[in-house]
Amino acid sequence: MSIFVSFILAIISSMLIDNVVLSRFYGICPFLGVSKKVKSSLGMGIAVVFVIILATLICWPLYNFILVPAGIAFMDTVAYILVIASLVQLVGLFIKKFSPTLYKNLGIYLPLITTNCAVLGVAQGNTDQGFTFLQSLANGIGTSVGFLAIIVVFSCIRVRLESANTPKAFKGLPIALITAAIMALAFIGLQGLFSGIQL
Amino acid sequence: MSKEIYLVIGISVLVLLLITFIVSFVLYVKTPAPKGCEDMKISEEKCASCSHSECSFYKKEGQE
Repeated sequence: MSIFVSFILAIISSMLIDNVVLSRFYGICPFLGVSKKVKSSLGMGIAVVFVIILATLICWPLYNFILVPAGIAFMDTVAYILVIASLVQLVGLFIKKFSPTLYKNLGIYLPLITTNCAVLGVAQGNTDQGFTFLQSLANGIGTSVGFLAIIVVFSCIRVRLESANTPKAFKGLPIALITAAIMALAFIGLQGLFSGIQL
Repeated sequence: MSKEIYLVIGISVLVLLLITFIVSFVLYVKTPAPKGCEDMKISEEKCASCSHSECSFYKKEGQE
């Protein structure tokens, strides 16, 4: 199998089979908090994609070429948090300066990306599982696009649920959590789609 | 290269990251908000389901 095919399969695998929200339960805060409207969930998802991919590109070389040779690999979490927080501030600064429309839609949600544990989880997972750079990149792209897809699909369902005839006790967050649980069950069905992917 | 040099480089990179964060944070705070976004208020439809207590808008509303 060529590297390109393996790369694509690894992206699809971490996007659907090992979905960050539904199978690892990372990033639940924005998943529930910013999924009431499709537009804001799309903006949040795109910002998370950007930050996760950039954080992956920076954190893997930082760990393998600087922290490990220096013997301070135990400082990885601190370094990753600094990288992610700086990236979020820089992305926010760029949006604030050059894209007023996007800032208007996303401005108050931007700082939430720093507290999205999916971003830190991807960077930490890449090093904990000893991924190569290509595997880390595939994992970063797959995870972030998986997050984007799930939050958008979930917000579409929530918009429809608002007009549905839901029992009073289930209105709002309870029915949203039940929906998320059913989605997680549906995604379990995809497990075993690919196996033994080597990059 | 000896391990000491790697250690110095590693610590320098961490300090550099910290400085980058502080500088980017200060620049973000000092950059004026775009026209029409100067006084963004909590949108009931957007924020109703969120209880993120660290959100700056959540705090602002709580103080008023």
